[in-house]
Amino acid sequence: MLTAIVIDDEFLAREELTELLQESAKVNVVAQANNAIEGLKLINTLKPDAVFLDIQMPQLSGIELIGMLDPETMPCVVFVTAFDQYAVRAFEDNALDYLLKPVDPKRLDKTLQRLLKVKHNQEAPHTQAQIDALTPKILQQVPCLGHNRIMIIPLQEIEMVYSDLSGVHVQTAHQTASSQLTLKTLEEKTDLLRCHRQYLINTKSIKEIQLLDNGLAEVVTLSGKLVPVSRRYLKTLKHMLGII
Amino acid sequence: MHLVPSLLQQMCVYLVLAYMLSKTPIFLPLLNISSQRSHKFSCYVLFSLFCILGTYFGLNINDAIANTRAIGAVIGGLLGGPVVGFAVGLTGGIHRYTLGGFTDVACAISTTMEGLIGGLLHLYLVRKDKSYLLFNPLIVLAITFVAEVSQMLIILAVAKPFDRAYTLVSEIAAPMIIANCVGAALFVSILQDKKTIFERYSAVFSRRALTIAERSVGIWSTGFDGSSAEKVARIIYEETNVGAVAITDTENTLAFIGIGEDHHKPNTPISSKYTRQAMEQNRIIYLGARESPYHCSISDNCKLGTVLVIPLRAGKKVVGTIKLYEPKRKLLSNINRSMGEGIGQLLSSQILYGDFQQQQTLLTQAEIKLLHAQVNPHFLFNALNTISAVIRRDPNKARELIQHLSHFFRSNLKQNIETVAFKDELAHVNAYLTIEKARFTDRLTVEIDIHEALQERLLPSFTLQPLVENAIKHGISTMLEGGRVRIYSERNGVGYNIVVEDNAGQFVPALGDKQGLGMEIVAKRLVHFFGDKAALQTECEAGKSTRMRFLVPDQVSS
Repeated sequence: MLTAIVIDDEFLAREELTELLQESAKVNVVAQANNAIEGLKLINTLKPDAVFLDIQMPQLSGIELIGMLDPETMPCVVFVTAFDQYAVRAFEDNALDYLLKPVDPKRLDKTLQRLLKVKHNQEAPHTQAQIDALTPKILQQVPCLGHNRIMIIPLQEIEMVYSDLSGVHVQTAHQTASSQLTLKTLEEKTDLLRCHRQYLINTKSIKEIQLLDNGLAEVVTLSGKLVPVSRRYLKTLKHMLGII
Repeated sequence: MHLVPSLLQQMCVYLVLAYMLSKTPIFLPLLNISSQRSHKFSCYVLFSLFCILGTYFGLNINDAIANTRAIGAVIGGLLGGPVVGFAVGLTGGIHRYTLGGFTDVACAISTTMEGLIGGLLHLYLVRKDKSYLLFNPLIVLAITFVAEVSQMLIILAVAKPFDRAYTLVSEIAAPMIIANCVGAALFVSILQDKKTIFERYSAVFSRRALTIAERSVGIWSTGFDGSSAEKVARIIYEETNVGAVAITDTENTLAFIGIGEDHHKPNTPISSKYTRQAMEQNRIIYLGARESPYHCSISDNCKLGTVLVIPLRAGKKVVGTIKLYEPKRKLLSNINRSMGEGIGQLLSSQILYGDFQQQQTLLTQAEIKLLHAQVNPHFLFNALNTISAVIRRDPNKARELIQHLSHFFRSNLKQNIETVAFKDELAHVNAYLTIEKARFTDRLTVEIDIHEALQERLLPSFTLQPLVENAIKHGISTMLEGGRVRIYSERNGVGYNIVVEDNAGQFVPALGDKQGLGMEIVAKRLVHFFGDKAALQTECEAGKSTRMRFLVPDQVSS
């Protein structure tokens, strides 16, 4: 039995696919999401074996979503689309599985056989090359969940990102929002710079660096927020800013 | 020296005669440096007469004649070429010889010589392509001077006894040189005046060109073919009074009107190599001069003797030629090169415009077809997916959706409908929106409020539905929830504004992509049908709303 999440912005499309999956008796649909940002959260918390992912969704597309997943906990991704010539060509070029709407149960069964085999053999569901070929290398914006709302925050507005026990938080001049992306993903896919084990800083929003004792430092951002800099990262930070 | 006034008097009589003759058609061939044999012959006769006249008007001096014969000989040669010059000189010389006297031989030789000198200058200037200098009085003055000086030298050399010859020459040299040089120069300036008057005719030609332009407007809009070519050829034939007019495309003669209609038949392949040459080199070819005489390529009995072949262009591409003909006998040609160029340019731009009009019609048809074909496949497959899900839970609702989908496709497939009544277009929009509402469930609400007065009004097909589709595709589908589309009419002073509004506010001016093309066609069709005031307008408040509106005016200006 596979665990799966269905992500599609259309209610009926989600329901239809969920019912087809349940009927197959091979899959247990553990959750549904009506947008990619919710979907990202569910993937991170539920860690399903497979994700059935619509491509065209508001705010964040299915393809953008997989670029934000942590490669280490990457589930098997099956794209589901009504008609998207460019995406379909990209999937075929990179040997990624996809289903066409309306979904044909026989075709779905083939996919499920393959997914079961991958799970049984404990293979990695996707190679990094496949993911890289499909997704943009650099993120221009970060999807976030605020209080009862979803926000897409442009990178240049972010002053810093930090993690604590409750998750990853994106700090702009005016607000804080939670992100489902890990610090590691953000460090790799954006030009935010690591300045502390728990902090990334946007070098463009540094107002000043106060040097403290013991080789520690503190960054003051343009909006006056304090960001700790650990000994280990101070050198890199200075180097990036052209201070030797 | 007393001879100078007497000879000048003679010269005046002589010039008055020349002036009077210049008023008659006999003179006209002289004005064009023509190579036709008949023109050469009339040139010979005319100047031989002037030569003989010069001798008769001469003054008897010491058994010799002081005269203005040289004028005829030199100008004869100058305008007729070396052969004519030689013949005129010889004729004048022989005539002088018959009058006797001790200089008879010398005068015969020298007159022939003078004709030849004029002829050689003609040859030189024509070869150098400077034949316009033949009518320059100063050049003529100079060459007559040369001719007269050589005459004096010949008299000294040939006439016997030398003493008498010497006395004669010293007496007549100066008066004769002066009288002949001035006389020849004035003679030519009479010709030149005549030529100027003749060239004013081209003003008349321009007026004709304008008439042709006026009469031939719009004829090519059906395309460059036999029937339009015949109409245009007839207009040009009537307006220019040329012998015949032909129009060809790149392969065939499309129309031929005028002299030679009996053997120049329309719809026959082009037989003249000059026509092909004119098209290949994209230049006007004139046939009728000595270097390039015109011979009809079809019949030896053809009466046509001159032709101007003018290439016709549509843009840069040569699409055919127009040919103007004159018959062989005709002295005064109606054909004039710049007139030909004018007609060529005129017809070329008309053909281009006709082409453009034709393509525009085709384009509108193509655009409708494109819109028919532009049923968004994404919409289609999503609709089918939605219906597939609905079947499971509510078969009746599914059946209803299939009805709407059928309605949508049926109205999309109605071929070649230019206009549609508002109520029908609204039904089409409604079918479309019913499917989209099912698909987006609670994410989409729709409000339609179009004034009753508009229901029967016509609007161009494929204008309202694409705007609604655009609002869904680029507006509502980017929203997580709470999408709203409003379609309503607003009364204003000159008609009703039709507004399609979404609350996404995601409008980005298109950069020539597919979406941009669709909206561009909609905008064009609206303006085309309702006039400039109906131009599609877009307002966007980012994140709040996008409104696309167009005017349905109370009165449609065509």
